[in-house]
Formats: sequence, structure tokens, C-alpha cells
Amino acid sequence: MEGRILDHPILNFTRKKRVKIFFEGNEIEAYEGETVAVALHAAGIKVLRYTPINGRSAGLFCAVGKCSSCLMEIDGMPNVRSCMTKVKAGMQIRRQHEKGDLV
Amino acid sequence: MKEYDAVVIGGGPAGMAAADVLGDHVKTLILDENDMLGGQLVKQTHKFFGDHVHYASTRGFEIANKFIDKIEKKPVDILTSSTVIGIYPQNTVAYVRNGHEDQVKYKKLIIATGAMERQLPFINSDLPGVYGAGAVQTLMNQYGIFPGKRFLIIGSGNIGLILAYQLAQTGVEVRAIVEALDKIGGYEVHANKAKRLGIPILLKHTIVKAIGDESVQGAIIAEVDDKFNVIAGTEKEIVVDTICISVGLMPITELTEQAKCKIAYIPELGGYVPVRDERMRTTNPDVFVAGDLSSIEEATTAMIEGKLAAMQIVEDVKKIDLEKEISNEIKTLAIFRSGPKSLKIRSGLEKMGIVTPRIEMPKFSPLPNSENGKLHAVIECTEEIPCNSCESACKFDAIKVGENINTPPVFDPLKCTGCAVCVTVCPGLAIFMEKSDESPNATLGIPYEFLPLPKSNEKMWGMDRDGNYVCDLTVKRVVKNPNKTYIVYVDLPKEFVDVVRHVTYPRKENPFVCRCEEITVDQIEKVIDSGITDFEEIKRITRVTMGPCGGKNCKMIILGIISKKTGIPISKLSHGTSRPPVKVVEFSAFLRGDKK
Amino acid sequence: MMKHASVVVIGGGIVGSAIAFSLLKMKTKNVCVIEKSYVSSGSTGRCAGGIRQQWSSPMNVKLAMRSVKLFEEFEKDVGMNIEYYQGGYLLLAYTDSEVDDFEKNVRMQKSQGLDVEILTSNQIKEKFPFINVEDIKLGSWCQSDGHANPQLANIAYAIAIRKMGGEFLTHTTVTGIDVQNRQIIGVQTDNGYISTKIVVDAAGFEAPKIGSMIGVDIPVHGERHQILVTEAVNHFLDPLVINFNHNYYVRQTHHGSLMMGQGDANPASGEDLGNTIEFLEEMSEKMIKDFPLLKNIHIVRQWSGAYDMSPDAQPIIDESKDISRFIYATGFSGHGFMLAPAVGESVAEMIIHGQTVTTDVSNLKMDRFTIGIEREHNVV
Repeated sequence: MEGRILDHPILNFTRKKRVKIFFEGNEIEAYEGETVAVALHAAGIKVLRYTPINGRSAGLFCAVGKCSSCLMEIDGMPNVRSCMTKVKAGMQIRRQHEKGDLV
Repeated sequence: MKEYDAVVIGGGPAGMAAADVLGDHVKTLILDENDMLGGQLVKQTHKFFGDHVHYASTRGFEIANKFIDKIEKKPVDILTSSTVIGIYPQNTVAYVRNGHEDQVKYKKLIIATGAMERQLPFINSDLPGVYGAGAVQTLMNQYGIFPGKRFLIIGSGNIGLILAYQLAQTGVEVRAIVEALDKIGGYEVHANKAKRLGIPILLKHTIVKAIGDESVQGAIIAEVDDKFNVIAGTEKEIVVDTICISVGLMPITELTEQAKCKIAYIPELGGYVPVRDERMRTTNPDVFVAGDLSSIEEATTAMIEGKLAAMQIVEDVKKIDLEKEISNEIKTLAIFRSGPKSLKIRSGLEKMGIVTPRIEMPKFSPLPNSENGKLHAVIECTEEIPCNSCESACKFDAIKVGENINTPPVFDPLKCTGCAVCVTVCPGLAIFMEKSDESPNATLGIPYEFLPLPKSNEKMWGMDRDGNYVCDLTVKRVVKNPNKTYIVYVDLPKEFVDVVRHVTYPRKENPFVCRCEEITVDQIEKVIDSGITDFEEIKRITRVTMGPCGGKNCKMIILGIISKKTGIPISKLSHGTSRPPVKVVEFSAFLRGDKK
Repeated sequence: MMKHASVVVIGGGIVGSAIAFSLLKMKTKNVCVIEKSYVSSGSTGRCAGGIRQQWSSPMNVKLAMRSVKLFEEFEKDVGMNIEYYQGGYLLLAYTDSEVDDFEKNVRMQKSQGLDVEILTSNQIKEKFPFINVEDIKLGSWCQSDGHANPQLANIAYAIAIRKMGGEFLTHTTVTGIDVQNRQIIGVQTDNGYISTKIVVDAAGFEAPKIGSMIGVDIPVHGERHQILVTEAVNHFLDPLVINFNHNYYVRQTHHGSLMMGQGDANPASGEDLGNTIEFLEEMSEKMIKDFPLLKNIHIVRQWSGAYDMSPDAQPIIDESKDISRFIYATGFSGHGFMLAPAVGESVAEMIIHGQTVTTDVSNLKMDRFTIGIEREHNVV
């Protein structure tokens, strides 16, 4: 069981337009309205960054922008909350290592 | 700057109910961080309790839709995707929308920011695959994503029970719900829904650690005693790829603090809560609260509180007499809160001076709590492999493999003299030495091929067959052998002699408390042990609560650690100051040129 | 709590702590610090942590240079790594009058032995390519300037004071000072009485409150200054940058966050430690203009603290003429942290020897206000 739920006893999931986004350079399936973390999760990608001090893997935790667990590098900007950022066509997403580079 | 009679922060059940009333009378704005109103309702697929006025039997996401339809028909300004970052002087609310900061002024403010999930630090709780229950609901019910395959749920409150049921609905496997208390926290009907699906609810159990390198591959759970300490030897591993934490909620009080409302620590209501009166007015006369922010409860009571606050504001601003309606709502609230499950809320409210009429409660009867002397070899070789080295080594005829060398060995303890030669020769390191008599401690000999070599009297950890910590033990002696398979003899509690199969030096495994700054329980305890017990000083030394989340996730845990170690109740501890912005905000949000 | 102290220091911030530490280091026994809240609860805990030597008067430069010497030895002397980093200070000049001032100051500072130099706009661009050098005429650059974590420094002193046998009382408020015939005989607190003959008033912007208990007038007032801090990013900014023209300073902490502040146009009183949204707006605009790479960095937190302002924005370090052995060290006007180690040493020397030995601080005496004031210009 991975990816998107197609049939659900209660809910109907109608997905919007398909958009191309890229994780570490590879195309990932995503739909308008989804957050980056959601699209990655659907693709089975749970490790979203490596922590700056201990180098531990970290992933989605609260999913509502209330913690710092899911920070990623999105379109070159580090420390973007992937749980609160909606996918956009052409988005380049990378796992964040350390604290992120500005230069 | 725009000015409103009433600004509502938070579009959950409380905020929506308030906006619904306000919209009929005063100029109103409702702000919410998400891209649609509804709060947690939009994630709920189960039918709600309550009465028909409060959408009983309607599923959570449908309640949200009905409210949204109602509010949209009224002259209420709705700003979604708008994150409030602080309350500033002169009744100013600052928020960020689409990457730009803006401000509004209010005559009266309703803060209905709800609650957030309490955390639970355990070893590896920072691994991907460990989620708050709300995150799993977001993935599964809001976005239609399978959050994982096999689940462990921590906490048997309503959220945990509902989540288990919701997960089962998508076809995934819920291996267990563990609950540290001796009774289920949530409603019995919710529990029965999960139980009949075959999901075990393990009472007096907790999670010890998550297992996995990059992400969760399993969990160690164990029984706990009455003081919630793990009972050694009860640990067991379950294979899961997702662990959901649902150990309760706590109010998000930051904005009320910034609005200069008095905050009190009332555990029965969820922790720190704004002090308010029966009509939801805080100590700042312009500021009201409603919903989980004022006390952790149900959506129904949140809606009533929202209505109450709104009616009082209409009275204040428009001087319309709504006393009859207000007293009706207060009565309705009292009825909702009259059951035994609301006992905590009632006593919590009493601490604030709000008395809820009492109704006779049924008595609960608590459930009763349940509960040869010489050294010899122990051979743990059951697989049919071609080997009889033990048989050949034993000079006392105690080990028999027999004619077929593939036959697993048969051992006769009466013939064993305890010479331990077999231990050193076994290629599979499958033979151990044991001595157990009336004394509480036993002797165990373990083949050992690692460095550094343990020394006599060293304290080590006994590990079980899965490499899990079992107990502390003491090295008695180390027998060296020319073939470098040494035997480490250890002294350990008798009950673990059949459990421990390896020894290791104590590992620095330590749960993380603060995700942002990667601070462990141990680091905090060390600071406290050094004599520094002031929360503010601990914060400055370790950086806990200073990360991007502003301490939302870890503050209560840290206060708990301080309280536990110093014996000072949490209510007596200083808990720091909430600084804006409560959510991180980009510099570019403040660019004036880009502003509308 | 001790019944008798040789010296009571009122105020457990960085200045009071440094004084007590220096006294103990010079073998004074029974030193007691009284702090009304927790360690680093006041201005020290709210301070940005810059440590600079580029001042406009020779004595200030000397005092700051002595402080830097002591910061270099801090970890060894006091016993804690306080994230001290000598990444330099870069002061930016935008106007002709700033250029004149900078050139004059650098000449004077060099004559005092400071490793300071003028950088051209091009040199600045080369050294720090991420700074927008548009309109910058030149910079004043001192490599041995730097910054540290004031909160850790304060706590480090407190721990060391206790280890050396001193007493560091927290959550204890001074309620009165006992004086007979212009001699101090003791200090009353809400936790008990301590007899002593010597009192040091290091209560920051609340120093006048202590002085007024025994009729000593200290011309200091609190002024609110705001600071913000961003999320952490990998290290890229070595110096603390001061821009007088655009009115801000910014540094990157050891942790990686950017910490910055400005002087408000109409600063609130030091009693008001609230925050304003205008501060975030103004800082954002300035940062995006001067450091374009910061455009999308996230602000994590804002707070405010009080500067203990003196009439000429310079410290007041002196012994009262009216009350014997009542010594005050206050009025640091936003520069207390960086001067604290040297001030601690000087005040300890004043107490033990009756005069300073290592560094001359006579320009900071109270009587300068009656003689005439020369205001320190290099202030944000």
C-alpha cells in the first residue's frame, strides 16, 4: 500500500491537474493542490532532510507547519516547510543537508 | 489599515460558529492559516456525537462544508491561507498571506487557534515514519495518501481510537494501540469499533523506541508499572513502518499571551490556558477565546463557546440585548459537560471560578492489578547443519549429536561439569553457560569476540536475542582462550538469565526532546543536574525552544523534565515568554512595494 | 545565603558578574552577587553579543582592546566556550562626513595599536560579495573584533563565581541599603539581610533605582531596543556589520542564525519590553536591499531589551562622593557586554587597590557631566 488512495469507503478524492515536479532531479507524480511533502510521500519518499548537528534523517512530522521536521531545499531556497508549500509545475526539490546554503 | 468590529483568528468549529453569529450583526473578519475553513473537521471522516443543532451524526468534513456555505452567504470577510504572526499594540493583528505581511485592527478579537498535539520523546522518535496523529489524518483523509503500511498507535484517547479505525478503513494494518494507563482514554464506542476489527489495545504499555536506520522499520513496546516506568523484560518488537503519536492535545496560547491575556496552568483543561469568564472573555476585555484553546474538549463545545463569545461581542459593540440567548447557550454547555468524561473539564473550570451544574455520576470500581545450583552449558542450536564440534570437545559425554552430523545436539546437563570448552569451540557461538540457584542473581557466560574486552566489575548492558537492552549487569570475569573466542561471565538478575545473550557497553541512546535544535532528554537532565534549574537558563544553555518552532513542540516536555527532577510543580515554574512571530516569516513578506 | 559579604554586587548581568568574578580571581573572599530574576534575565540576555574596539575616543579603544584580550582568554579563565568568534567588524560609510570620521578614527585607533584599516568599496565587494555595495563609500574594518553569546557568558560567570566560593543569589530583590554616617553597613533583600561595607551597583538601567535608596543620583535611563533573529543557515557572514547610515547592525551567530537590530526613531522606555511590527518591516526592507541573499530567509523570533543610556552614551564607572564605598558601573548604552571583562577587572582593582591598575577608566567618572560632555558617536 503506497501512493494515492483510489477507493475509500467514505471519501471521494478528486485530483486536480497533474504537474511535473522534480525530486533530486527526478520527476515525481504530483497534482495541483498537493503539498510538496504529500507528493513526495505518495512517491514513497519519507526522508526529507538530514539534520545539521547529528546528520539524522528527518521527515514529515506534524504536517501542518508547526514544527521544523520537514524543511527542504525548494527551488534553491533552504529551510522551506515542505508540508505547507504547494507543488508548482517545474519545482526543483532537494533533500536539505545541514542548515542550508545561501551562497 | 482596515478596522473590523470583530476579528476571529482560527476557522475551526469555534471560529466558524463565532463568525456565523457575528456576520449577522457586526463587521467581521475571519482569518485561517489553511486554504479552507474547517480546522480539524476537514480531516474527520467519522460521524460526530452531539445533538442535531450541533451537527450530530454528520461526518466532520461535512460539518465544515455546511458551516462554510453558511458563512460565505453572510457579509463576513474570509481570509484563508493567512498566517497570523503576532498580536501587536493598539489592537493590531499582523498576518502573512501569499508571502506578504499585512495588518488589521479590531475592536474585539476572538482567538480560536485550537490546540496542538503533545509530543512523546522516545528513542528515535525523530525518525521519518513517526508522526503526530493529525499528520496521518492530513495525509490520509485530506490528501488521499497512504501514510504507511503497518501502524502502531501510541495513546488510546479518542484521536488514537478514531485514527486506528480510519486507517483500517483504507485497508492498512494497525498492529496495536498502546496505552500507558490501565484504562482506555477515549469513548468506549470508539474503542469497540477498533477492537472488533481485531486491533489490540494494550493497556499499561508504552513505546520504548522506534527501530530503523533511515526511517521506521519497527518499534519496541513494553509494559509499564504504576509509575509508568518500563518493566524490564517485557519489551517486545513489533514490525511497523509508521508510528502515530496521539497522547493528547495542548492549547496554543501564544497569541493570547501576546494580547496580554492572563494565562494559568490548569492541567485538567489541557495545560496552559487563557483565564476567561463564563462568556469566554479573557482578562483583556477586548479579547475572547473559544474552542480547544480555552479547554481541550469536543467540536460541539467549541461551537457553543464560539457562539457565546460572538454574542457577547455583539452585545458589547452593538448594545443589542442577547442575554436570553447567552444564558441558553451557557445552559447547553452545562448539559454537554455533565457526563463523567467531562469531570476533568468541570474541575478545571472550577479552578477558574466557573462552576458547571453537577449531575449524579455513576461510581467506578477500579480493576484489580494482576501480576539447581551448578554451572552448565545451554545449547541453542536447533537448525540442521553439519556440525558436531561440541560433541567432540566435550570430554564428559554430555553432548550428543549422533551419527548424522546434521542432527542438532542433544545435551544432558547432569553430565556437564561446567568446563565451558564447548562454548569456545562452537562455530555458531550458540552455546552459553548458566548458573542459577536460590539467590536472586544468576551467572551467565557469553561467547564474546569484540573489542574492547570487558574487565571484571565493569557495568554493562545485557542485550536480548534481538539486540534489545534487557538489564544492567556486572562483569565477573573474562576467560581468555587461544582461539580468541573469550567467555565473559556476568552477574545478572536471575529472571534475565534466559533472555540476555549479548553484552555491550552502555550506549548513549537518548530520545530527542527538541527537533529544531536536536536536543536530547539527557542533555537537559545534565544541565539540571549541574544545578541550573531555571527554564530560561536551561533554554539559553541548550537552545531548547529557540528553534524555528518557537518551543511549540518541546516546551511542555522540558517543563515536565524540570518538574520531575526538581519536584517543583509545573504550575510553579516560569515558562518563558512567547515572542512574535509565532510562525516563521520571510523578510520579503514585509516588502512594502509588493503590498496590496 | 551568606550573612556577611566583603562586597555585595547588585545586578547579576554581565557587568555585575564580571566584577564579582574579577574580585574572586584577585582572591577577595565572601563576594555576593544579587540578581532579582534568573541569570541573564535582563539586558545581557537580550543583547546581540557584538565585541568591537573601533571607538571614537582613545580611552574607549584601550578599554575595548583590554576586553578583547580577556575574551580571548575567556574559555581558559572562566571555563566555558561562549562561541567567541573574531570574524571582525565592518563599519560602512555612505556620506562624506562618515568618510571623514572613519578616516580620523582609524588613524587614532591605529595609534593605539589596533589592527584596523580602511576598505574601499571594491575591497568590500571582493571580501563580501553578497553585500550590496551600491552607494558605499568605504568601510572601516577590524579583524580582531568579533562576537560571542552573551547569555552563555553570563551563565559561565555565574557558574565560575559559585565554584570559586562566591555566592550568586537569583530571584532575590534588593529592598534597601543600610547606611550610617555615609558608611554602608548592609543590604536588605526580600530573602534576608547581608552585612557589608562595599556595594557595587551594576543594576543596568535600574541602577538609578538602587542609587535612589541612599540618595545617590545616577543619570541613566532605560531605552528599548529591538532585535530579531532568523533561522540558521550555513556560515557565510564573518563580520558583524554596522551600518550607521541605514541604522542597523547584523551578525551571524555560531548557531547559524542572523541576529540584527536597529535604533528606533522614538525608542520606548526600557520598562516597555514589547515588540513592534514596524521593526520587522523596517529591518526587512533594509536587509533585502543591503543583503539581497536574505530575501527569503525566515524570521524566527523578535524581542526587545533595554539599553542603560547615559547622557553621553558612555559608561559611568565611579565611586560615590557622598556614600563611602558605593561604586557604580552602569550607563553602558548598549555596549556593556563587550566591555564587561575589562570593566570587571577595573572595578575589582578600584575596590581592592582604591584605583585602577590595568586600564585607565578615568574618562568614565561621573564628574565629566559637570565638566562637559563629548558624546560617543559610534553608536547604533
